[in-house]
Amino acid sequence: MTALSTPAALDADVASAPPGERRPYKALEPTRGGKAARAVLLFLAAVVTLFPFYAMVVLSLKPTGAIVMPEALLPWPISGEAYEHVLGAESVLRWTLNTAVYSIVSVVAVLFLASLAGYAFARKRFPGKEVMFWSFIAMIMVPYHVTLVPSFIVISEAGGVNTYWGLILPTLANAQAVFLMRQFIKSLPDELFEAAMLDGCSEWRMYVSMVLPLIKPILATLGVFVFLWHWNDFLWPLIVGQSSDMRTLTTGLASLNAENAPLNVVLAGSVVAFVPIFMAYLVGQRYFTEGVTMTGVKG
Amino acid sequence: MRRREARIGLLFVLPVLLLFLAFRFGPAIAGGLLAFTDYTIGAETSWTGLDNLQRMVDDPLFWRALRTTLIYSVLAVPLSILAALGMALLVRRSFRGVKLFRSMFFLPVVTSLVLAGIVFTWIFSADGPWSSLLGAVGLPSGSWLSDTTLVVPALVIVAVWTRFGFGMLILLARLQDIPRELEEAALTDGANAWHRFRYIVLPELKPALFFLAVIETTVSFQVFDTVYVMTGGGPAQSSYMLVFQLYDQAFRYFDFGYASAIGLALFVMTLVVALIQRLTLGRDR
Repeated sequence: MTALSTPAALDADVASAPPGERRPYKALEPTRGGKAARAVLLFLAAVVTLFPFYAMVVLSLKPTGAIVMPEALLPWPISGEAYEHVLGAESVLRWTLNTAVYSIVSVVAVLFLASLAGYAFARKRFPGKEVMFWSFIAMIMVPYHVTLVPSFIVISEAGGVNTYWGLILPTLANAQAVFLMRQFIKSLPDELFEAAMLDGCSEWRMYVSMVLPLIKPILATLGVFVFLWHWNDFLWPLIVGQSSDMRTLTTGLASLNAENAPLNVVLAGSVVAFVPIFMAYLVGQRYFTEGVTMTGVKG
Repeated sequence: MRRREARIGLLFVLPVLLLFLAFRFGPAIAGGLLAFTDYTIGAETSWTGLDNLQRMVDDPLFWRALRTTLIYSVLAVPLSILAALGMALLVRRSFRGVKLFRSMFFLPVVTSLVLAGIVFTWIFSADGPWSSLLGAVGLPSGSWLSDTTLVVPALVIVAVWTRFGFGMLILLARLQDIPRELEEAALTDGANAWHRFRYIVLPELKPALFFLAVIETTVSFQVFDTVYVMTGGGPAQSSYMLVFQLYDQAFRYFDFGYASAIGLALFVMTLVVALIQRLTLGRDR
């Protein structure tokens, strides 16, 4: 849980001194040579980081069969052929719908259930509370793959293979979400809750009109993170969504790739799968980085 | 009043508790028990004692998967941490455009491993850019993914590309906390950049580096998506790793018992890493 105390590192600005405190000299700033070296390294790192994205976009815009190195990397000739194919294919639209359902329903459900439980763990006294909470936390230690097979058996026996609920339900048991909610709600001032108690507020109204507005920041951070995790999830959708109309974008694209579909088509599909995440990242970058550092790992 | 509070508390926790019983606690216990059965869907199940473990010990493919997973991790973990450290130091101080660079380097982390796998399959293919690049500098070209020795390094490169941004972020957060005065004082005392790094920055980063090492090791042990998309465990099973074998046994051969035994092995490996971390950190403090 070391990473709990890492706020938006991407936004932080190390060199700007706190107000009222002038730095005596700029000696820690790199020399001119150091700056040049840094620029070169940054350039190289940027090329390495961005190249796969560039290749993904450029190759998706090639006419079928025209991918030959090194011409393949030139941004012309351009053709929308692959996109026409992908966006015209019912299967891809279906996968996009499935991915959206899987991600959005899971986000809403995880936020709702984890905030309810987190609120109870933080503010209520009830028998077995500590044992329950700490056994939830202990489950973070058990690798996901140990529970994979039995979870599949449960879902399979209950008839959940190739259904939305079979896909979604097991992923709602999210220990990190409960933990973060509980920590956040614990850190809120007691007076807020006491005042509401005196007002004779009903528990449900208290949750809806007090707790939910107060935890907006953590809802946003966690929501973005859970969305990202589900949108990119692969193994669980792979084993539960077996029929072709129950695939998500990740498993669908992997199957296209395995069936040796033309590269421009697979990559156009990849762009379609990447754009929502990219847009969300542009808008809510802070929440992405906070969510990922707070929860440590994906999953 | 007290009773009512307890009732409400339990009521609010109940949905999550049921989900945990069905999909975390239950399966965790079942996962352990299944390893001692011959469970498969639609057939009688019986206890088989240590048969699955015995089979695992006798299975050359298991040892191969274990060895490949360890080699992969031994390469991927230090390399991605080194890359993360280098990048964190590079974008540590503010300059024009620094935020843009930080966001850019984090982009691979939010990208799905399947997409990364698809693009890198092309990058490493025989007529892809990696082969061209190697050819251009006079090294042997060709597809790394169809080479039995180079396939794991290729997967490692993908792992570093997808993971370094995460480590960078963790380390960057720690770097922000190092008081500037500390380094400035060292500078006045004549410490050069290396000394400042070695004696001020590095000790401060140590806990974060340990934290990263554990997370990255766990992630590496569990590598699956890129293997599935890029190699399918091949060529000639040279990139066949543990979670892939687990998947193969459970969902291709429906041998859930044996798959659970492999899951158990994975669990033990994760525990050992956590234990080593505990002991090492304990010694340092």
